[in-house]
Amino acid sequence: MFPVAAAPRSRSVSKPATVPPLPTAPAVPEGRRTPRARPLWYAVVFPGLPDAELQRLALHARQFTSFVSLEMPDALLLEIRGSLKLFGPLTDLHARIDACWAQLAVRAQSATAPATLAALWFARAAHPADPADPADPAHRMVLDDPGQLSGRLASLSISCTRWDAARLHTLRAMGVVTLGDLLRLPRAGLARRLGPAAVLDLDMALGRRDGPRRAFVPRERFRERCDFESEIDSVAYLEKAALPLIGRCARFLRTRQAGVQALELKLRHRARPVTRVRLGLASITGERHRLFGVLAQKLTRLELPAPVRGIELVSGPLQALPADSFDAFTGLGRGGSRDTAAQLVERLRARLGEQAVYGVCPLPEHRPEAAWQKVREFQFSRTLSGAGMPVSEDRPRPVWLLHEPVPLPAPPATLEEGPERIESGWWDGRGVARDYYVAREAHGERLWIFQERHTARWYVHGVFA
Amino acid sequence: MPRDISSLADILADARVWKLKDASAAPPRPVWSTGRSALDARLPGGGWPTASLIEVLIDESGLGEVQLFLPALVACQRAAIGEAPWLVWIAPPHEPYAPALAQQGIELTRLLVVRPGCAVEALWAAEQALSSGICAAVLLWLQGTDDRWLRRLKLAAEAGGALGVLFRPERHRFESSPASLRLLMTWRGGEAHLELLKVQGGRPGPVDLGGS
Repeated sequence: MFPVAAAPRSRSVSKPATVPPLPTAPAVPEGRRTPRARPLWYAVVFPGLPDAELQRLALHARQFTSFVSLEMPDALLLEIRGSLKLFGPLTDLHARIDACWAQLAVRAQSATAPATLAALWFARAAHPADPADPADPAHRMVLDDPGQLSGRLASLSISCTRWDAARLHTLRAMGVVTLGDLLRLPRAGLARRLGPAAVLDLDMALGRRDGPRRAFVPRERFRERCDFESEIDSVAYLEKAALPLIGRCARFLRTRQAGVQALELKLRHRARPVTRVRLGLASITGERHRLFGVLAQKLTRLELPAPVRGIELVSGPLQALPADSFDAFTGLGRGGSRDTAAQLVERLRARLGEQAVYGVCPLPEHRPEAAWQKVREFQFSRTLSGAGMPVSEDRPRPVWLLHEPVPLPAPPATLEEGPERIESGWWDGRGVARDYYVAREAHGERLWIFQERHTARWYVHGVFA
Repeated sequence: MPRDISSLADILADARVWKLKDASAAPPRPVWSTGRSALDARLPGGGWPTASLIEVLIDESGLGEVQLFLPALVACQRAAIGEAPWLVWIAPPHEPYAPALAQQGIELTRLLVVRPGCAVEALWAAEQALSSGICAAVLLWLQGTDDRWLRRLKLAAEAGGALGVLFRPERHRFESSPASLRLLMTWRGGEAHLELLKVQGGRPGPVDLGGS
């Protein structure tokens, strides 16, 4: 579901034109190499395909293999070594994938080769398969032997490399028409004239160098509608109606080993715009009871503007579940019904609003008002350090800080501690130059006050509660 | 057919009822020191009781009322295991100042500040937090409330095992309250006075905070 992506192939030419050394001998001694299946690539080119279509076709390609790579603008690469066991011999599998494109009525040219670029180049050179006869073998290059690569590539025209026009023009001027002509040229000269990227491409086409690809991950969402036979005007019924949708959403997430952090419930009315109920979760989850808990809390607070004809549940983007979320025994030791901090935050936010629940954290800053900030994301899973935050300040600091310093009409009667001079922030235009004191007010409140040094005015900034 | 049940004793006598533990054999609830020996000496068990509701009556913030609880908050955060060491502060009168709390040793990654829109929402949030079982302490600032809600908070605190602290103005002094401990903080004659109005299992009366 969430494959580890290989680094994308770099086409950078910014380095000086040095020839990458040809890997002649394996870097690791033969006996210690890990035996790994050689990848086998099926490439398909769709000439003249609109941009947005490629993703849709990639979804179709995923029925044959879990590794599909988008080759912009008009091609796909499928790793099919792993699929051979399931789909039978290579020629059968190739024909099956070709038949899929014929069924979709898209023009496709395909080829299979043991190297990424070779497969792509063969596919570009191939004639479009005849949709009427998808099994026509004359137009397909199906090759599994890396030893044959250079011989078979030799007959291809250099235009199937898709290098830029200037480079191809240089080559044609040199009398190079096919890849065979190109491969006969000395590497060093080639690198100087065409840049090292071209030499890299050739190495990749010949299978001497890996061409890592990034697997295509479909952007899936859960989206399901439910229309009612009669209109619903009570929130309690609405909750009942949404329950199966939540259940199906949870099942959808479970089969994909994924979770969501946001859901949206759309309520459709007869003659009014759709009411959107946004459900935020404090942590990524796919659990039915948590999704439903948040929904129920939101719905109880909802005032229906009009009777509801139908509902639609749409999930936010799917995200990988944190690794510790599969603990079957969570909660058993603590009396079963106890919930987690994430659920508490979720429940509070569902009713009071996203902004109403936050944390605070100190910042390394001398200006008191800038020495802290609100935190909206909580690290629920982090284990406690036990020591708390490093204490950077040993001067008295009040438990409460006022939003804004409040002017004092007269200088205070009793100053208990101070002054502590804080002078900072001149560089960002919000500079302060203050002398802070701890003062006792007539009614007994212990206050944190300061005198601004430029104006000599007094302000209250905090309360020692 | 269910039998006619006349009393609790009948139920307990039934062989189908399993008793997990004798209630009287339950270990005593932990008690957290207030950090002031004069006050500890007056409280049953020698500190703030957990799983109970404490009410502090005070008119103006600034007499050190939060300071009375900070040592206990630090201690119960350190002692808590697993998911329990959360502190929830509901509707505090000003912004809790992170550097000051860090200075005192509070684990700020386990502190939630809640800003409800009205008193009912604040009480609801307090009930949720107290009964969640993951909070070490819940502090709530309120202007007024009724007896019924306080009873719910007390039950929630007992169920969740958290220390519940409610700050209210002094005018509620003569109303009945289900809190197991009621304190009054005032400023008279140039010093802060602390009076225990109600102590379950202890003796009410003024406390001499002295310099401790």
